Formats: sequence, structure tokens, C-alpha cells
Amino acid sequence: MSMRKAVFPFTAVLGQDNIKKALIWNLVNPAVGGVLIAGEKGTAKSTLVRGMAVLSQERKIVELPLNVTEDRLVGAIDFQRAMQGGENVLDPGILKEADGNILYVDEVNLLSDYIVDVLLETTGTKLNIVEREGISCSHSSDFILIGSMNQEEGQLRSQFLDRFGLYVEAEGEKDLALRVEIMERRLDFEQAPLRFIQRYQEETQELSEKIRKARLFLPEVEVSRDNLMFAAYLSSQSNCVGHRGELVVIEAARAIASLDGRTKIEPEDILEAAALALVHRMKEFSLDLDGQSENSENQTEEPEQTFSNQEPDNSETENDAGQEADITEKVSESSDKDKKNRNPDDGDKNPEAEDEKKKQQKKENHGKNQNFRNPDGSFAARLMPLDGSNQNQIVSDQNWEETADFPTDSGEAQESRIGRDEIEAPGEIFQISKWQEGIYKKALSRSSGRRRNSISSNQQGRYVRYRLAGEEKVTDLAFDATLRAAAPFQHLRDKQNRAIAVEKDDMRVKIREKRSGGCILFVVDASSSMNANRRMQEVKAAILSLLNVSYQKRDRVGMIAFRKGKAELLLGFTGSVELAQKELEELPTGGTTPLAAGLDLAYEVTMTLLTREPDARPTIVLVSDGKATSRKWNNDTPFDEALEVAEKIGKQGLNTIILDTTEKSEKTVKPAKASYCGRLNEKLHGTLLTMEEIRAEGIVEAVARYQK
Amino acid sequence: MEQKKGYCFTAIVGQEDMKTALILNVINPRLGGVLIQGEKGTAKSTAVRALAELLPLRNQVKGCRFNCDWEDKAHICEECLTKQRRGEKLATIQAPMQVIDLPVSATEDRVVGTLDIEHAIKTGEKKFESGILARANRNILYVDEVNLLDDHVVDVLLDSAAMGVNTVEREGVSFSHPADFILVGTMNPEEGDLRPQLIDRFGLSVKVIGERGVESRVKVLQERLKYEEHPEEFFQEYEPLQQDLRERILQAKARLKEVSYSQEMLELIAKICIKLDVDGHRADIVMLKTAITLAAYNERSQVEREDVLTAAQLALPHRMRKKPFEEASFDLSMIKEIQ
Repeated sequence: MSMRKAVFPFTAVLGQDNIKKALIWNLVNPAVGGVLIAGEKGTAKSTLVRGMAVLSQERKIVELPLNVTEDRLVGAIDFQRAMQGGENVLDPGILKEADGNILYVDEVNLLSDYIVDVLLETTGTKLNIVEREGISCSHSSDFILIGSMNQEEGQLRSQFLDRFGLYVEAEGEKDLALRVEIMERRLDFEQAPLRFIQRYQEETQELSEKIRKARLFLPEVEVSRDNLMFAAYLSSQSNCVGHRGELVVIEAARAIASLDGRTKIEPEDILEAAALALVHRMKEFSLDLDGQSENSENQTEEPEQTFSNQEPDNSETENDAGQEADITEKVSESSDKDKKNRNPDDGDKNPEAEDEKKKQQKKENHGKNQNFRNPDGSFAARLMPLDGSNQNQIVSDQNWEETADFPTDSGEAQESRIGRDEIEAPGEIFQISKWQEGIYKKALSRSSGRRRNSISSNQQGRYVRYRLAGEEKVTDLAFDATLRAAAPFQHLRDKQNRAIAVEKDDMRVKIREKRSGGCILFVVDASSSMNANRRMQEVKAAILSLLNVSYQKRDRVGMIAFRKGKAELLLGFTGSVELAQKELEELPTGGTTPLAAGLDLAYEVTMTLLTREPDARPTIVLVSDGKATSRKWNNDTPFDEALEVAEKIGKQGLNTIILDTTEKSEKTVKPAKASYCGRLNEKLHGTLLTMEEIRAEGIVEAVARYQK
Repeated sequence: MEQKKGYCFTAIVGQEDMKTALILNVINPRLGGVLIQGEKGTAKSTAVRALAELLPLRNQVKGCRFNCDWEDKAHICEECLTKQRRGEKLATIQAPMQVIDLPVSATEDRVVGTLDIEHAIKTGEKKFESGILARANRNILYVDEVNLLDDHVVDVLLDSAAMGVNTVEREGVSFSHPADFILVGTMNPEEGDLRPQLIDRFGLSVKVIGERGVESRVKVLQERLKYEEHPEEFFQEYEPLQQDLRERILQAKARLKEVSYSQEMLELIAKICIKLDVDGHRADIVMLKTAITLAAYNERSQVEREDVLTAAQLALPHRMRKKPFEEASFDLSMIKEIQ
């Protein structure tokens, strides 16, 4: 049953060209494999997806609500027919409805893990296999998967991310005139939807006709061996995981050529496709400037091998031999130039190389290269730092200038990164946030970004599926599943004047999933030793960064500080990271170091949490130099007391991280293991990080480790 | 038991921003609701209920569990349509706008609706048992402490609010029905945040604080006592004001379609949003709609600069791009110079 609602016309959406392209390619060639749209709120993401339905004659949009239960997704026994006639018939679910259509999931990053598992399986096999509730059948479930999400709310599992053929990012328009136009159109639409839709009718029809023609023309588009090589080359150049990348690139390029009415795929088509197909498959698509210099050598070596290896054994595309030779030549030239560019002596500024390239460029591009790069250059910007040199080969003159300048940019970025160390006070958000931004991006780019939903053992959380009740006492009955289980046997049972007889074996209970997130308890050393060399400022900044990651992950945070002989719970577990920040900013330093007291309080607080919420996954983050100077129980040295508590925590198997704030100069004296923090960590069985590591890239590791 | 007549909206002392935001939403239900942030005991709930009582009765289909309006063809539920196709006569009754409460403890199946178990057991048939969102259609949905709701309940809530439709694919039932409501949420920011994605779905936001001045505090008390002890006097005293406001709201509703805006005003809105670097375009659109509604409320047929500035105050504070640890702060002075 669907509500009739006027949909904002696709063609009336201003800007967001990449999203439009991605959606259109999918309609032309479903083999492109869907698209994931990521972007800030209010950027017409879902408007465009819902609007695309009218562009296609044979595909409709089937929406997958976030709170779908398994039975409605895959289908279940038809309860009514089972009751009435004792028949075992499938009551098909959304996967059936989506077959041959478009499956759209808004806020796809919030989907329950189990539902994602089902989608992964279905998108892999294109089949929905139902083996449950006495039903055994399977049906085709081949759909275009479209998802939209706001990255601020967490990422997708990398496996799921990879299932989306294309990835586009949406951003708000910054141009004044455009913004005004966007407002006007929206208001016009809301005031008289039908009249508004009418106004764009012609455009819509034109586009829809164009798509229809392109779809019919698609089989005519030939994929040459050069095309394949170029796609593989780009994919390996951008350090992509797996092989789906180049396949998608080729399919998208076919769509582009077909839309253009060409039987041949040009290199520009492949570039245009790659811009949307590869970004989310790169191992790291953040601006990882540090790592680049070390491994760029290796990376550039690979493609050359790939090319030479493939040459002899590929026989499928012999008819394109002429073009092939051309490209091979191009490639060898390009690798020559790469070598030149990697040479620090001539570098990118070499005027000779530049001229040569420009000439080469004009020859190759047939003047068609105006728009194969994203207007915002995001793909190139991302690709560049990984290996700037190769890409130069194929970008246009004007763009080349930009890319040539890139190393300078990265130099600046590096400089500013060093500059970021000079954080005067944690309150200076600008510097900190800049630093955090880098960390945040990296955190996102790693696959394990989001905390996995945990299965909730009490009656909280979302009912996603069910299980057999077994021998236990049933407290959370899944009524629908129980009824379905009982239905087929009704004609055999003595109903004793009831409409339905339910027996113990029919009982099904709910399995609920809860988006719990982690609970992070910061245990902060605020003693006077933390004051040396503005150490505390760095520490505060580091905690702020961690807090920021927690915020993105929807973790709850708490904070304990210890100084002047005692430990205090500044903040119980809260979802408000701001409160933690306030506490942190106001935290004074000075006095002795009652490390044992701090750890002991952390232990108490964590155990209380676990009693109340057995599903919680707490992590204790100790921020200290480990030099205890104040006792709690007066029967041992302060440090031995701390070790005792650490052992207690370690035995409980609690997840711990120590952020060692010891000065670098002090550290050179002793090996890390023998340091105070090292010895504590032996008892805690946790993760030991230094301030330097945190600053460089440790936060990501630390965060990844939370999730174990 | 006869229900005691609620407090008069016009008798609420102060809290002008909140009152304006609520009134604007009633005039133009497309504004997207209000998020009221502030301490306890600041007449939030009283104001919402009082406003619903102030409004005149409206038509709805008798016995329809979604309170359908037969005139509004685009938003009629499937059940009414089926009845009509079968040639059944649909009776219309007059009923007041209601305030539907969504308690923090509400479970998802109670919010979106679920399989009617009783019906299934008795008859062996599947039937959709509607939830809170069904009752909220064409009413005000009041969510106290929206930030304490389970995340997944908030998700479905805001999704319905944005779409005006509730789609259920759960527990053996597949159903969708109109869920077009004015969403009013309250929260105390100290008790945890609402995720940015969700906060953005609220059209307007206002901050309320208890009245600080002694004089106004005394006034609050006096009026409250009068209402408790001499309700008749109280209602008599406020009836003219209530009547005025009712008229004004109705007129504004009627004028809404006629209000026009100049290119200059559109540019002003866009400039403000660019200057404040808000995410996406929802802010622009909500601001424009708010300004239009304000103009209508102020008995004008042209959006003026002051409407835009007031609209900015209501539509922007909760949408400011929040630096990770900065308090999102909005200051009128930041946009006053923008021409």
C-alpha cells in the first residue's frame, strides 16, 4: 500500500550533478550496481532518489524502512492462508517487491546489522532464499540498491560499502544565486505541487527518453581491452580494495558512452566513472600525506607490471588492436614521466615535462575533457596525494596547473600540522578542531568506523528477528512469529473453542538489537606532574579529540580525575560530549598523584555500569604518566597499590587504554616496557599509547581497538 | 468525569519566542515543528495544550482512526478511500485539534503500530493495529524529553514527520498511513544531545528560561492562582484576548497564500545562511517559510526584513554548524549588518 504523494521533480533539483549522474547511469545500466549518497543534511539526497522513479518506465522505487523486521524483508509464511486452509504459502516480503526495481534505504548507516547481513547476501546472489517456518523456496531478488546517509552518524561496514557500485557526496550549494533559486523552487513546489511538476514535465520526459534510448543502445557499446586496462590501472593506482572497482568503472563508462550515443568508450568516460566508483574503495581516502612518501614508490611500480602481464593473454578484444597499441604507448610514456616526477630534482615544476605533458594532453583528449573531473575535484584531490604524478597524464591543461601545485599544498598542510602542536589552551577550538578534523576523516575512512550493534538481552531495543523459545520462561514473546508457527497446524489441533491453539513448541521470542555504542570512561591524571611543559594542554587536546570521535560514534562518555590525594567522578556516563568537554576545560591541575584511587574509582564506576546494563561495552582510558605519588590504603608504595588495582581491572577483562603522557626525553632512558605505564599495562592487558602516537595516528588504532 | 478546562494561552506570561514559534506552526503546519529547549517548569507543556484548545474545531471523518479530512484529498487514508469506493457514506464530525503525548518509555511498536494480536488470535486474520503516529495525524505530537527517547524511536518519528507518512513493514504487517503532525519536542540539553541529523528536522527551535524578574514571577503566580481558585473569572477575563488571537490565527492562515516576497529578501536569507555556514538547504527553506508565516501573522502581504531576521532567530540556532566542542551560538548581531 503506498501513499500518493507529489514528488519533487528530479529535473527541478539544482546542482548535485554527481548524484544525478550516478542515478542516471544506474537506470541506463543496472550492472553499475547502485549508489551510496553521503552528505550533510538537507542536500536533496532523498528528494533526488524519490524523484528518479518517474525517469524509468519499468522500475519503481521500493523503500526499505529502517525498522523493518526480518519477516517483512525476506517474507514469511502466509499466516491467514495457513490458518484457514493449512497451506504453506510464502507471504512475500520487500525483497520480492524490490525484484527488478530500485531498493532505496534512507539513513542506510542506521540499518540494523542483521538486516544488513540479509542485504549483503541478497545483493551477492541476486536470490532470496527462504528456508523457514516450514517454507522452502527461493525467488529472484535483483534490484538496484540505493542508499543515502549522513556520515556524521557513522559509517557503513566496509563489506556493505563495497556493495554499492558508486559513491557520491552531496554538499550544500555555496553560491548565492543558486541558493535563492533552490528556495524559490521548493516554495513554488509546496504551494502548488501539481502545477510545479507540470512545469518540469517536458524536461522530465526528455531525460526519461534519453535514458530509455541509452538503455536500448547499451548492448552496442563495446568494451575494448584498453578500456579494461585503463580501468584496472586507475583502480590499482588509487589503491583500491578488491576487483569490484574496475568492473563498476567499466559498467558506468558503458552507461556514459551509451548516453552519448557512442559505441566506443573513451578514456574520459572511464575517468568520469572512476571518479564515482573508486573513492569508497580506496584503502584510505583521506589526505594521508605522511604515509604517501613512503609507499608511493611501491604503488607506482604495480601498474606497470599489471599492464605487461595482461598484454599477452588477453585475446577478447583483438579487434581493437589499433587503439590498444596507442594506449600501450601512452602508458609506457606515462610511466617514464612518473619516474621523472618522482625524482626530487626535477619534480613537478619541471617546465619541460609540463610542456610535453600539455602537448600530449591535447593530442589525447580530443577536446572532450571539459567535464570528466568533478567540478569540486574531490576525486582528483583524493587520488592525488596517493599518487599525484600518474594522474597528471590525464587531466586537462587547466586542471593540470592545479595538480602541479599539489605538492606545495601538501607541504603547507604538513607545516600546519606541526603548527597544531602549539595548542595554547584546550579552549581554542579552532586549532583543535583542525587537528581533529584530520583524525576524524581518518577514523571515517577506516572500515570499522561504526560500533557494531549489540544484541540486547533485556527487553530494550529494536525487534529485528526471533528465535525458538526453548525451555526458558518466555518473557518477550514474538507474537507474529508464534502465530505463524502455530498456523499450519490448526486443522490438526484441538482448539477448545478458541480460534487458534498455540503450543509450547510454537513459542518464539524476540531478538532485539540495540544501537548501544561504547561507554568510554576517561581517568585523567590532574596532578602537578602534568603541568610540566604545558603537558596538560596537550593532554586535554588529546582527550578532546577522543571525545570528538566518541561523539561521532554516539558513545557515552564519563570522566574521573585524580589529584591532591583523591579521585573524583566528574561526570557519570552521558551522551552529552559537551558536558565532558566543559568538565575537562575547568579541570585544575596540581598536587600529588593518587593513581590507585583513580583506578579504583574507575573500576567501581565501570562495574556499576555493567550491573545495570550487561550489554554495555565500557572502555577505561587512563591518561597519566603512571608516576603514583599518593597512597590510597597506606599499606604499600603508591605505585604498587596502583598495580594491585590494575590487576583487579585486568582480571575482569575490561577494555583499557593507557595514554602515556611521559615526556619523550624521559622515555629514552628506559625501554617502554619498563616504564610505569608499561608495567601498569602488563596488569591491565590493554593498549598502551604514547602522546606522540596519539598525535600521529594512534587515535584511529585506539578507536579500532575499542571495538573488539 | 468532566475534564477541567485547560489554561488560557493568552494568560501565559512571557516566553514570547516559544509562543510565537507555536503559533507560527499552527498557522503553517509545513514549518516542521518546534524544539523547545530549556529547564523544567517553564510552561512548555501548558502552552502546547493551551494552544490546541484555543483553536477552532475542524472537520474530520467520523470513526477514522487517522482523523482524515475529507476535503484534503491528497492526504486521505486508504481505509476512507476504500469505504468511499464501496459507496459507503462517510460522516463528518467537528472535533478539536488534540495534543498527543509520546512518552519517553514508548516502545517502537506502540509508536508506529503493529500486528493486532487480539484480532489475529480471535479470527486468524492479519490486521494493523495503529499506534501513536496514527492518532497524531492532523494533531500536535508532543514529545517531552525528546533527547531521552530511544534512538530508533526518534529515527522513525522524525522520518514520519518529514514524509508525512508512516510506513510499517514489521511483525508480519505491511501498512502505510498519513502521519502529518505538528511535532513539538522539548529537551534539556544538559541531559544529552539530540543527534545533529535529528535536530535539523525540527523546523524551529526556541530556548526557554524561567522568568527572572520578581514582578513577572509574581504575575505568573497570580494568574495561576486565579485559574485554580476562580476559574470562571479567569476564563471570562481572558476570553476577549483568546478570541482575538483565534481570529488572528485564522486570518493569518487565510492570508498565507497571498504573502509575496522580493528577490532581495530571498538573497538576504541565502546570505545569512552562507555567512553562518549552516549545513544543507533546509535552513534556507524553513527560514523563508517562517518569514512568510510571520508576515501573514503580522497582517502583511509582503515579507519584510524584520520578518527574515525574526525567522533567522527561530530557524537557525539549532542548525549552526557545530564545531566539535563549541556551543552552537547564535547572535542576532552576527546577521544584523547583512544587507
